[in-house]
Amino acid sequence: MATGTERQGTDRAAFGGVSRLRGVVFRYVTFAASLFGILSLAVLLGYVFWDAFGLETAAPAWYATMVVTVVLPVAGFLLYARRNPLAGRTALELAATATGGVLSGFALVVVLEVIAGPGLWFAYFLAMGVPLGALYLYGRRVEASWTGLAVLGVLVAGPVVGTALLGPLSRIGGFLGGPGVYYLSVIAPTALVARHVVDEYLDGPNGNYVALATLVAPILAAPAIDTVAVLSRSVWLLFFPTLVVPFSIVAGRNLATPGRRVGVAGPLAFALGVGLLAVVPDLLGVAGPSPWFDWQYVTSAPSQTAEQAGLYPAIIGSIFMIVLVALLTLVLGVGAALYLEEYAPSSGPAGAVTQFIRINISNLAGVPSVVYGILGLAVFANTLQFGFGTVATAAFTLSLLILPIVIISAREAIRSVPDSLREASYGMGATRWQTIKNVIMPRAIPGILTGTILALGRAIGETAPLIMIGVATTKFSPPSGLFGKMTAMPMQVFTWSSYPSEAFQHGVVAAGVVTLLVVLLTMNSVAILLRNEFERGDY
Amino acid sequence: MSNESAPIDLRGDRGFQDLRERIYQVAFLACAVISVLTTVGIVLSLAVPAVGFFQNVSLGEFLLGTQFSPAIRPKVFGVLPLVFGTLLITAGAGAVALPFGLLTATYLAEYAPPGRRAVLKPMLEVLAGVPTVVYGYFALVYVTPLLNAIPGLELGTFNALSASIIMGVMIIPMVSSISEDAMSAVPDSLREASYGLGATKFDVSTGVVIPSAASGIASSFVLALSRAIGETMIVVVAAGQTARFPGDVPGLLTSFFKSTQTMTSAIIQLGLSDLSGGTTAYRALFAIGLTLFVMTLVLNVVSDLLVQHYQEDYD
Repeated sequence: MATGTERQGTDRAAFGGVSRLRGVVFRYVTFAASLFGILSLAVLLGYVFWDAFGLETAAPAWYATMVVTVVLPVAGFLLYARRNPLAGRTALELAATATGGVLSGFALVVVLEVIAGPGLWFAYFLAMGVPLGALYLYGRRVEASWTGLAVLGVLVAGPVVGTALLGPLSRIGGFLGGPGVYYLSVIAPTALVARHVVDEYLDGPNGNYVALATLVAPILAAPAIDTVAVLSRSVWLLFFPTLVVPFSIVAGRNLATPGRRVGVAGPLAFALGVGLLAVVPDLLGVAGPSPWFDWQYVTSAPSQTAEQAGLYPAIIGSIFMIVLVALLTLVLGVGAALYLEEYAPSSGPAGAVTQFIRINISNLAGVPSVVYGILGLAVFANTLQFGFGTVATAAFTLSLLILPIVIISAREAIRSVPDSLREASYGMGATRWQTIKNVIMPRAIPGILTGTILALGRAIGETAPLIMIGVATTKFSPPSGLFGKMTAMPMQVFTWSSYPSEAFQHGVVAAGVVTLLVVLLTMNSVAILLRNEFERGDY
Repeated sequence: MSNESAPIDLRGDRGFQDLRERIYQVAFLACAVISVLTTVGIVLSLAVPAVGFFQNVSLGEFLLGTQFSPAIRPKVFGVLPLVFGTLLITAGAGAVALPFGLLTATYLAEYAPPGRRAVLKPMLEVLAGVPTVVYGYFALVYVTPLLNAIPGLELGTFNALSASIIMGVMIIPMVSSISEDAMSAVPDSLREASYGLGATKFDVSTGVVIPSAASGIASSFVLALSRAIGETMIVVVAAGQTARFPGDVPGLLTSFFKSTQTMTSAIIQLGLSDLSGGTTAYRALFAIGLTLFVMTLVLNVVSDLLVQHYQEDYD
C-alpha cells in the first residue's frame, strides 16, 4: 500500500492544511495500543517469576554473575539470530524438542509407572498393542481390505480380553520385570515409529539405521544409567523414546546442515550458563535467591506450612487427566472432522443436517466453560456414575469442552490438502477410506497435532468445570486410577490463592502459577515447532 | 470438496470393501453426532433441574427479583443483582478491550510492516492462552495493590475494577484478530480510490477501512463481550462474592471499587457449598446456568450473523 502522507507535500496549502502530524500520532497510538496487552502481561509475569524464584534475597553479586553467565550469551545469540534466522529456528527446534521431550517423558512415567504399573500396562499391551501392531505391519505389506475392520475389532475386543485375562497376562509382565516390559512395549514400537517418521518426513538418514540405533542404544547405555541414583532403568527406558530419540534426530539433522550448525550454540550456551549460575555463586559465597519453585515443591504434597507445601498430587492428576483428554479428543475430533470434510453431503436435506452440525460446533466453542462443568456433573458424575471429582469424569468433561476447537482446527488441516491429490487418488481407483488413509491423513496430521496441542493447553488450565464436577480442592496423594479422586494444578492454585498469608500469596501460589506456565509454554512451543517444521505448503 | 468425484466401480465385485467403507462412514458420523449430543446434553442438564427450581420459585420472582441470597434467610433468588454484576464487569472489560483491540487491529491491518506483524500476532495470542485462574491471581495479588497505590482510590481486597481490567487484557486478542480479518477483507480498490481522491493514510484507515469493516468489527465486539459474560475464574478469585444491585451502593462508579458477584461466580459458589442435591438453593445453580447459557448463545448467534454479513459484502 502506498502511503498517502508523502503525496501531498507540494500542494499542502491548496488542500487547506492537511496535517501530517495527525497521521503520525495516530500511527504511534495504534502501535502503542497493540503493545499495551503484551506489556501488561510481561510486567505481571515479571512479578510472578520474581516471587516464585524468591529473587529478593539474592545479593547484587549474584545478579552480576547471572548477567555474565546467562543474560549476555542469550542476548548475544538473539541479536545474532536476528541476522541469521536459520540459527534462531535451529535453537527453537532444539529447545522445544528438549523441553517437550522432558514433559512427555514425565507424562509417560506418570501414566505407566506411577498409576498403571508395569504389570497392568503389559496386560493391556498384550491384549491390544500387539495385535494392533501386527495388523498394521501386515496391512502395510499386503493391501488387505480386512485389516482395517480387524483393527476396529481389536479396539472393541482388546479391553474386554485384557480385563478378563488380567491375572495371567500381568504375571507375564511381573516375570519380565519393569525394564523388560518397557523394552518390549515402548522401545520396540518406538523403533518402528522412528523408522517410519524418518523415512516418510525427513530426508537424510536411513530409517533402518535409526531403528537399529533405537533398539541397541538403551541397552548399551544401561551400565552408565545404573551409576545415576535418581534414574532407575524403567525411567530411563521411558525417557528414551520421548527425549533421547527425538532430540538425537533433531540435533543430528541440524549438525549435518552447515547453515544450521551455529544455531546449536544458542541452547548450548544457555544450558552452560544456567549450570555455571548454579555453581559459581556458591563457590564465591554469594547469597543466591531462595526459590519457592524447586525440586521439593514439585515432589511433595500440599501442606498448611508454606515451606513444606508442594504440588506433586496436582501435577500427577493434571498429567493423567490430560493424557486421557488427548486420546479422546484426537479420536473423536479427527473422526468428526473427517466426516464433515470428506463424507458429509453438502446439498439436499442431508446437506441441511451437515450445515446444522457445523453451526452447532461453532456455537459449542462459545459456551462458557462453567456450563460444561454443569454438563459433566449431570452426565458423567450423576447419570453414568463415573463418580464426583474422579479422573474419568474430569477427562470426559474437558474432552467435550475442547472438542469443538479440535474439530475446527482438524477441519482446517484436512481442507488444506489440495483437491488435486484427492482426485488423483480416486482416479487410480482408490476408495474413500484408502484416500483418507494414504493421501489425506499423512499430510493433515501435523496440522491436526498443532491444533490439538493448543487445545490441550486450554484444557490443562481450566478450573471452573473441575470445581463443578466436584474435584477436591486439596488432595494429599495422587489419583489411584481411572476412577480415583483427583486434583489438578489450576485447582490447587485456586485453593491456595484464597489463603491470606503472605508466604502463600507471594510464594507458594506464585510457584504454582510458574509450574502451570512452564507446562503451557512447552506445549505451545512444541505446537509452533510442528507447524513450522511440517506445514511448509509445498504443494 | 470431493463429493462429486466418488469412485467409479470398474472391478465389479467390491462387496467387502463396500462394507468396510460403510462402517468407517458410520463411525465418523458417530463422532460428528457427539457434538449434537453435547448440545442436547447441555440443554437437558440445565433445563431439567431448572424446571424443579421453578416449581418452588416463580419465573417472575427469579427474573425480576432484585435480591439474591441463597444461604441466609429470608432465602430469595432474584437473578437481577447477578445480571447487574455480570454486566458491570463486562462493561469494564469492554472499556479496556474494545478500544485497545480495535486500535491493535488497525495497526496490524493497515500500518504494521510484515515482519513486526509476524512477531506481534503470536504474542497477542499468548494473552488468550494464559489460564484464567492465573489471571484471577494476577488481579487479586498484583493489580489491586497497584491500583490502591493511586491516591483517592480505595479498593476492597475483592473488587470489580481489577477483575474487569485484567479480563479486558485477556479478551484483547479476540477483538483484534476478528477485527483485523474484517479490515484485511476490505478490498484494496476502496483504499486506492480514496488515495486517488487525495485522502491521507489516516483518512483511509479511519474514514474508509474501519466503516467498511464495521459489521466484522461489531461481530468481534459481541463475541468478546460474550466471552467476558461467561468468564468465571477471574471473577471468582478477584471480585468477591457479594451480590449487589445498583440501589445498594451510592453511585454506579463506586460499585467498581467493591466486591461483586456475577452469574458465573454465583454458580461456582453454589457448586462449592456442598449443598446436598435437591434443595432449592442447589437448583438455583441450574436456573442461573440456563440464563447464562441463553445470554451467551444469543450473543454468539448475533456475532455469527454479523460475520456472514461482511463475508457476503466482499465475496
